[in-house]
Amino acid sequence: MHAPIGNPPARRPVAPVHIVGAAATAFLPEHDAMPDELVFAAVHQALREAGLRQQDLGLSVTASMDVLDARSISSGLTNAAAGGYLRDAFRIEGDAGLAVIAAAEAVASGDVEVAVAVGVHNPETTGTTRDRQAFLQQISNLAFEPHVDRPVGMTATATYALQAAHHVATTEADAESLARLAAAEISRGSGRARAVRGAPATAADVLASAPVSWPLHELMLPAESTGAVAIVLASPARAGRCLGRDARITGLGHATGRYTWAGDWISDPAAPTRRAAADALALAGPGDGAVVAELSAPTPALHAAYVDALGCADAVVNASGGVLSNFPGLANGALRLLEVLDQLDGAAVGARGLSHSVDSITGLVSQDVSVLVVEAA
Amino acid sequence: MTSDITTPATQPVHWDLHYDIHLGETWSRFMDGLREQRILANECGSCARVFVPPQAYCESCFEPVTAWRELPSEGVLEVFTVAWHGFRGGPTPPYAIGGIRLDGASTLLMHWVVGAEFSETGDVRAALPFGTRVRAVWSQERTGQILDIAHFEPVD
Amino acid sequence: MPYRAAVVGVGITEATSPRKQTSSTPELCRLATERAIEHAGISPDTIDAIVTGNIDGFEGTVLDGKNITRALGIGDTVPLVVINTGGTTGGNLMQVAARMVRAGTHRRVLCLGGPTFFGSVDLQSAINTNSPMIIEQPLGMGAYHMGAFAASAYQARFGLTPEDLAAVVVADHEKASRNPYAHLRYTVTPEEVLAGRPLASPLTQPMVCPVSTAAIAMVVGDAADADAHSTSPALIKAIGMSADPYLGGGKGDFSEMQNLANLARRVYARADVRDPLDDFDAVEVFAPYAHMQPMQLEALGFAAPGGGVDLIRSGVTDIGGKLPVNMSGGPKCTNGGVSGELAPYAYAALQVMGDAPPDIQVPGARRTLAHGTGGSFFQFENLAVFETLTRSN
Repeated sequence: MHAPIGNPPARRPVAPVHIVGAAATAFLPEHDAMPDELVFAAVHQALREAGLRQQDLGLSVTASMDVLDARSISSGLTNAAAGGYLRDAFRIEGDAGLAVIAAAEAVASGDVEVAVAVGVHNPETTGTTRDRQAFLQQISNLAFEPHVDRPVGMTATATYALQAAHHVATTEADAESLARLAAAEISRGSGRARAVRGAPATAADVLASAPVSWPLHELMLPAESTGAVAIVLASPARAGRCLGRDARITGLGHATGRYTWAGDWISDPAAPTRRAAADALALAGPGDGAVVAELSAPTPALHAAYVDALGCADAVVNASGGVLSNFPGLANGALRLLEVLDQLDGAAVGARGLSHSVDSITGLVSQDVSVLVVEAA
Repeated sequence: MTSDITTPATQPVHWDLHYDIHLGETWSRFMDGLREQRILANECGSCARVFVPPQAYCESCFEPVTAWRELPSEGVLEVFTVAWHGFRGGPTPPYAIGGIRLDGASTLLMHWVVGAEFSETGDVRAALPFGTRVRAVWSQERTGQILDIAHFEPVD
Repeated sequence: MPYRAAVVGVGITEATSPRKQTSSTPELCRLATERAIEHAGISPDTIDAIVTGNIDGFEGTVLDGKNITRALGIGDTVPLVVINTGGTTGGNLMQVAARMVRAGTHRRVLCLGGPTFFGSVDLQSAINTNSPMIIEQPLGMGAYHMGAFAASAYQARFGLTPEDLAAVVVADHEKASRNPYAHLRYTVTPEEVLAGRPLASPLTQPMVCPVSTAAIAMVVGDAADADAHSTSPALIKAIGMSADPYLGGGKGDFSEMQNLANLARRVYARADVRDPLDDFDAVEVFAPYAHMQPMQLEALGFAAPGGGVDLIRSGVTDIGGKLPVNMSGGPKCTNGGVSGELAPYAYAALQVMGDAPPDIQVPGARRTLAHGTGGSFFQFENLAVFETLTRSN
């Protein structure tokens, strides 16, 4: 069982974890609600769907960020809403995909039977889309190293633009081809209930949208929204006594990219995705390829590299329209998983889906990537 | 080894973040009440806990809380501390912050308490015993914030 | 699920005030990491995840783990998890790492706690941003103002005197004076404590923690890999966390730590602890203010309600006593934020590893308890039980 530790350490079997509930609030430009009220709405509904109560929870993991929530230790506010009153709970400052992984690890460890992961995103600012975007970029700038990168104005959007510029300069891609890809994503998602870009778009529409940072236009960037998404997990035996949906997480992987100085986030932006995918697929073991995949490409210049890193070229990719259709910030990891679950609904037992999420706190720099392999149960 | 370095060891960094906090329906209603000199609480339909400030959900029953009721502006001062030393941007010390159990409430409402002279050297309870009944004193100008209650003071 | 988690290495930097500190935050973090890796006797590139903590509003940075952990020399694209639950962040780092190892998804995880309060010009002002916004924050509460509520209520119920509080402080400083990593390493007299500047009744300046700068790192690994380490690992026998609601007013009774008492029952059951006073060889509690230690000892079952001060005054909690408590000097003498929160876990693990600094090592310690607390009005509590894990060779 215990192979010698090498580099990287040898992978070992991990107990399967079931998904028994998943629910989301509405996705709006901004919610008139406290972060904990959004968390409560999503968790309450997800537990209901599974036929569970708060008292059944062994662990609650919340994903949120203090500086977006306008409160130091904002988990103090959201913790009880995630089901954590007098119970085991903690908060991750990052994407909800990491919260799902942490909750799954707690179930796989045998320490808890039922766990909930919830991502909440409702930055405490108000105003026009442009005002809100300016606020998000100000927060992003604060998350860069304070003495060297912050003063020169590094932001998540700046990293996306740098990579896209390099991509255009070194491949056959051009603004037109990026616009076509973006238009296809937006159009694919446009008819769906969770889309925040509700109308189809053409490449011309994308190129006519506001230029943000060359070569990127507004419609090539994520469709920012707010809301909360909760995922309820259970051990296989406990899942058998739940109501509602059932799927199995058979693989999970997480990697964090390198910092500005490494530079590979420009030339090889899929490196952390490759690592996370390799870990997740190794855990899942051999099986048929994924039939559906939800990947999170913050710009069209990243799309092909992520498809390649995830090995999902044969799957139906981003039926939802992906993050260009709806990107609820830190709740994205849970939303992508929810989309995969919905698409696997009714599929043959064992049909495989891939859920890929990234955070956008510092963009491609130190990018957090989570990959989940899910099978219909 | 570092003796030839002339740059100061620290550099000032200032955050300038402006937030607009979304109150949500529950606290918006509470604030509406304060403007009208009413303290609005809500009550869990499952366990009958009465929350002030009100909560959108009961953390114990994990159910939404929807039933409203007005509480009297009097209650018991269960505990307080006198802040002799404050902080940058905070109220001017000394000030007394108390936990007040309004009549009928399951939770404590935190607020300022005035009406006693405290001494730095003695036990502050000599001037104001825990368990004293107190009542809310309303601000002249009320704008829908917690300081629409100016403070609490002992009931004669 | 055949995996068990253990602390296999600990690295602690010397602590000092922000004013006297000559190293930067990244330098302190790197030093602690190097010491933890060296202590464990492992190669840095076998670490397969990092868990760190950031409390952004208290720091001058947002998620500085995103750049600091990328410069630790631990390989590219190593997954980073950033935790923030305030004062329980430190304990949660180990909890998350332990679950990663117990699940089998990871095998060696680095827990890193940095100097959270480094650079804040007025820390109580920063901490006021954690006071419930809109409702309680305008009232002007920093950390010790919130702490003073419990001190006041405990005082009213059990007749705690200023002299009692001073006795706790004197004992903590005596212990810290023997810990080379402690910040306040001077001893104090009861008179000095009582003569201190009043901060928030009944607390005076010497009764509250200093602002320290230090970093602590810990390697959590698979207990079955024990032979691959140079240490005698500390098995993580049981972990747990419990939470109160957000508003200070939701606590109910400030005179006893009910949330902690509830958690202790749960964690003791998992670790098969039946008589805490007999079953533990040493305890490290997160007690940054003088009244907290006696209250915590009561909630943890070491003394009856109101009996915590007598336990401390009796010498039971001193070195050589039946239950040495906070041999490190505790957060009352060294509080570097997340590093200070991780400290009880680091020192409690070191005790069962037999690797605590010689003057604070409890001879033959085999089972220890570590504690963390924080959040608005100390709403969060967490605990871990460590046991000696004997290597097969």
